[in-house]
Amino acid sequence: MKSLDYIAPNSAEAAVALLSENGESACPLAGGTDLVVDLKHAPGDIELLVDVSRIDEFRGIEETEDGLRIGSMVTYGEIMSNPICLEKTPAIVDASHTIGAVQTRNLGTIGGNLVTCVPSADSAPALMVLDAEVTVAGLDGKRRMPIEDFFVGPRKTSLEPYELLVDIWIPKKNLGKPSDFYKFGLRKGQALALVNAAAAIDIKKGKIIDPRIALGAVAPTPIRALKAEALLANEKPTPELIVEASEIAVTECKPIDDFRASLKYRQQLVRTLTRRVLTRSVEIASNR
Amino acid sequence: MLIELRVNGELRSADVPPETTLLKMLREHLDLPGTKLGCDVGDCGTCTVIVDGVSVNSCLLLAGRAKGSEVTTIEGLANSNTLHPLQQKFEEYGALQCGFCGPGMLMSAKNLLDNNPTPTVYEVRDALAGNLCRCTGYTKIIEAVVDVSRDMKAESDA
Amino acid sequence: MVTRTTDIQTEEDQLIPSQESKAPSSQPLSVLGGNPVLYPLELPQSDTRTSTPAVGQRATRPDGRLHGLGQTQYIDDISFPHMLHAKILRSEYPHARIVNIDTSEAEKMPGVIATITGAEVPENTFGPTYQDQPVLAYPIARHLGDGVAAVAATTEQLATEALEKIKVEYEPLTPVFDPLEAIEDDSPKIHGESNIYTSKIIKKGDVEKALKDSPHVFHRQYKTQMVEHVPLEPQATIASWDGNGRVTIWSSLGRITLGREDISRTLAIPQSRIRLIGTIVGGNFGGKNEIRNEPIVALLSKKSRRPVKCVFTRDEEFTSSTIRHPFIMDYTTGVNDEGLILARKIRLVLDGGAYCSWTGTTIGKGSILAPGPYNIENVFVEAYAVYTNKTTTGAMRGFGAPQVCFAYESQMDEIAHKLGIDPLEIRLKNGFSENSLSPTSQTLQSVALKESLNQASDRFGWKEWKA
Ligand SMILES: Cc1cc2nc3c(=O)[nH]c(=O)nc-3n(C[C@H](O)[C@H](O)[C@H](O)COP(=O)(O)OP(=O)(O)OC[C@H]3O[C@@H](n4cnc5c(N)ncnc54)[C@H](O)[C@@H]3O)c2cc1C
Repeated sequence: MKSLDYIAPNSAEAAVALLSENGESACPLAGGTDLVVDLKHAPGDIELLVDVSRIDEFRGIEETEDGLRIGSMVTYGEIMSNPICLEKTPAIVDASHTIGAVQTRNLGTIGGNLVTCVPSADSAPALMVLDAEVTVAGLDGKRRMPIEDFFVGPRKTSLEPYELLVDIWIPKKNLGKPSDFYKFGLRKGQALALVNAAAAIDIKKGKIIDPRIALGAVAPTPIRALKAEALLANEKPTPELIVEASEIAVTECKPIDDFRASLKYRQQLVRTLTRRVLTRSVEIASNR
Repeated sequence: MLIELRVNGELRSADVPPETTLLKMLREHLDLPGTKLGCDVGDCGTCTVIVDGVSVNSCLLLAGRAKGSEVTTIEGLANSNTLHPLQQKFEEYGALQCGFCGPGMLMSAKNLLDNNPTPTVYEVRDALAGNLCRCTGYTKIIEAVVDVSRDMKAESDA
Repeated sequence: MVTRTTDIQTEEDQLIPSQESKAPSSQPLSVLGGNPVLYPLELPQSDTRTSTPAVGQRATRPDGRLHGLGQTQYIDDISFPHMLHAKILRSEYPHARIVNIDTSEAEKMPGVIATITGAEVPENTFGPTYQDQPVLAYPIARHLGDGVAAVAATTEQLATEALEKIKVEYEPLTPVFDPLEAIEDDSPKIHGESNIYTSKIIKKGDVEKALKDSPHVFHRQYKTQMVEHVPLEPQATIASWDGNGRVTIWSSLGRITLGREDISRTLAIPQSRIRLIGTIVGGNFGGKNEIRNEPIVALLSKKSRRPVKCVFTRDEEFTSSTIRHPFIMDYTTGVNDEGLILARKIRLVLDGGAYCSWTGTTIGKGSILAPGPYNIENVFVEAYAVYTNKTTTGAMRGFGAPQVCFAYESQMDEIAHKLGIDPLEIRLKNGFSENSLSPTSQTLQSVALKESLNQASDRFGWKEWKA
């Protein structure tokens, strides 16, 4: 790897200041599972790595009045062994479990995954169906936005220069909401998603309430299947309805056609995965 | 950049360039070449070591990030007169062929049993998914790990 | 637990073949003077094979202990005082004439001790069959994995940085990537007059007539892709050229005797001055069966007068070592109503990449095995290996056998499906049995094909699954 400098500030302010002082040549470092790989192949102009992984404000998982706060520098390994996540956001735990392998999950952070912002990012769909919001900090202080607004395009987020991702919030009402995540890759371990999908729903008086469907690797960013959601809202959760919703979800996607899988195959995956995550969410909701 | 850390129970330090990975530091600066470089991008797991109780790809972890950590490498698995049970069983089962994946495979297996002494076969496979063996000796490797956990259980039951 | 040193070798004399042993190696295998190669027709049974207690026993590997302790020394675990690190610059174009290489800027860098280009290699060709591979490409680069220059520096990082300072002037030539295009007369030529560098024909019976008479004829094209061996240990070499003009090379090479011949040729020094040490290998699978960077590292050591180490990056392992031959396979098969194969006509095109390497073995095995393990009276196989401007193909587990297996077994399934015959049944019906003749009319012995198929299908519950 080319010569670089490394510094580990212990507050968000210090990190933002370091980034703004060094401009283009500085870059935040979290687990390094995306960044260090990139640096080995195409180092670009980066000269200084600002390690944000030890900033207290970016760490930890806690339940507050507002909901669940997951620090951006929390690793998948931490999520998978956290009792609150295991109980209240199992879809996020499932999604974490599908990422890379044990070693990658012990290094890689959920924040790093969102900032890298590839269409197949496995943590995105589960967060989206739980209406997650993210907090970012920059020179002008902090701002908060729905997670969907964070994703702009492939490898492009709405972070302004020198802004850092602080944490991720799941609203209180969605803690424990019946949800499911499913990823399909070419292998069970160490594979990127050809398609990934998540769903969350509530059932009240036999009718579906607040349905959410999110799909990854099917468009430039992870997306919500809004038309399919609209079809489900306030309806009785029947298998036929779920099949119909899955069919609509296919029309909302624009998957690529490449050597990993054909367009047709990916569309079939959207159909199947949407059906699975919806069916499973309904099952969980019905068993309450 | 001066990095101090505890490796296999011993306090060690080295002055390394900031871009040095923990893998490079262990192999080239601390004379611990047991940990191997395989793919250099986190896919193959040959560089697996345990840092503060969790297994990581040392090829992706900058030495600076491991500052002050507790690191266990393959060299720390056996002591001077006894093999670790995993090493014993890997040897008996013929689990290692060319041997290059061995150090990483063993560290992943240790990390699993440290956290979950009685894994199911599925859990063993899941725990070793980040370690490639191109000789494809997975069956023997999995059998060896399962056998160690069986022995550990028998011991704790006794 | 049985170990080699104790239990087995107590009966040591049994392991040493007796004077009258009929082991194949004790019989003349070839007769000098252009006569055909003679193989023993009946393989002699070796006493040791049946009486050694090792068969059927679990033996612990003698190297297992060190592997588990992490104390096995692979090349990258070895280092010498004052050792330098080498890196190789790869071609920018898949096909180009190298007009000029300027290494002067790289040489000026502090810590860079030596550089080398193809023009400085005493005999810049090697290869197990044809000597068509350059140690460092010069004056023609034939694929992106070709090295064009190398640097030895005090650290790996410096050597890598020095590569960026080497200026290479290329005159790009038209590349050809598709083997079917490369086979055409008007395609760009990679070596000499034709891109077809090896071919093979096998004829048995009268295929054309038998196909004409067949009630059903099936035709399909099958393709397989490139496969890299991906040994976990990348190719690695250390060379140390001493003051007496002798060179010692530690290499992850699998075939050191052949390797020494090639090294002697490329360095233009007698074999007696080369000490080649085959170390423990972290996975070979065929990819480490011929020299690769050994002469480069040796020459850098000669120039710098210091030991030099070179370890491939993972990328180089993919682009600059050999890979498995991709095959394009046309199968035409005639069968009767019962699914009995009457004729099979096959055309194989092997995408050889830039150099020949072990293509001879691959095309031979691939062609002989192409009709499959089936009794077929009428067979015609034609096979061509073709140069393209891609990664060199060479030895890999099976030497062509897995590629053709994919084709003939896929076609067996298609035939079974179309004729409504059980896929297992059609294989049992056509399969080789004791004394069957191979497509090259060799009498086959110890044929357990049908037993194996029956046992396997019983064990995984084929019939139950079909029911
Ligand atoms: C072997 C392997 C397997 C993988 N498998 C998967 C998989 O299955 N699914 C998947 O989705 N991903 C996978 N990945 C990708 C990667 O592990 C994840 O995206 C991971 O979550 C990245 O997090 P990190 O902490 O390592 O980020 P880093 O690599 O440290 O950083 C990633 C990017 O985010 C920026 N950044 C980091 N933190 C912040 C912050 N707080 N504020 C602003 N910017 C920040 C960095 O500058 C960098 O651009 C895999 C990677 C490897 C090496």
